Amino acid sequence: MQLVTSESTLIHSPWLGDVDRSPDCELYFPAGLPGFEALRRFLPVEIPAQRPLVYLQSVENSDICFVTLPVLVIDSSFDLKLCEEEKNQLGISAESTPVIGEDVLCLAMLMPAGETVEANLSAVVVVNLHNGFGIQCTPPFEECAIRRLTLSGDAMPQNGWTRIC
Amino acid sequence: MDKNLLVLRRRVGEVVSIAGGIEIEVMEISRTRVKLGVIAPRDVVVSRKEALATASENRKALELTGAVPQRVIDVLRLLHRQDEKV
Repeated sequence: MQLVTSESTLIHSPWLGDVDRSPDCELYFPAGLPGFEALRRFLPVEIPAQRPLVYLQSVENSDICFVTLPVLVIDSSFDLKLCEEEKNQLGISAESTPVIGEDVLCLAMLMPAGETVEANLSAVVVVNLHNGFGIQCTPPFEECAIRRLTLSGDAMPQNGWTRIC
Repeated sequence: MDKNLLVLRRRVGEVVSIAGGIEIEVMEISRTRVKLGVIAPRDVVVSRKEALATASENRKALELTGAVPQRVIDVLRLLHRQDEKV
């Protein structure tokens, strides 16, 4: 593991190579991500040849990097529901309804599933585009595992994703 | 690990104290929900129990980093092109 000091301008990611650490681009997760609560600062990284994948590279631990996709790429009708507590963490007023792409960035974590990948649409990562604050939504137990999609590379249906549960 | 269940009745504003400098205050009670405030040392992870499942999924997600199958990237590129045409 390589710790990135505050003076570093580059993150030496074993996955992405040297990533320019521009403070303007940094995302801040006040509670970290579940399982990685100590890691609060991430950089969103796009590789042109791999668009629309978005890598979430930890600033504090260069070994930690998640592969994500914007939820609208997976499900164009995705309905983002944030509870009052989540809005509060993001710095969004309780009355407002944030719009994906305008007010918030909404990403689904990708997970390996044999030769393909699954997208976790239950616990999406949401970032307030106005202040760079982020959270990962934690769904109630009854909603867990009902919104997971797998990429069907062979059949290529209309949107490429198949609901598996 | 041997565990015991302790049942306590508390009102709004009252606190439960746990060893290690941890305190849980009942902040608000509505018909179906209780709002709790937790005071704990910074190195103590406090989260909803549901977050454990997400934590496990996040650890699994890390296995993908650096090993995204080329076939997946190819399909994503196709999808992206379709999106751009719309």
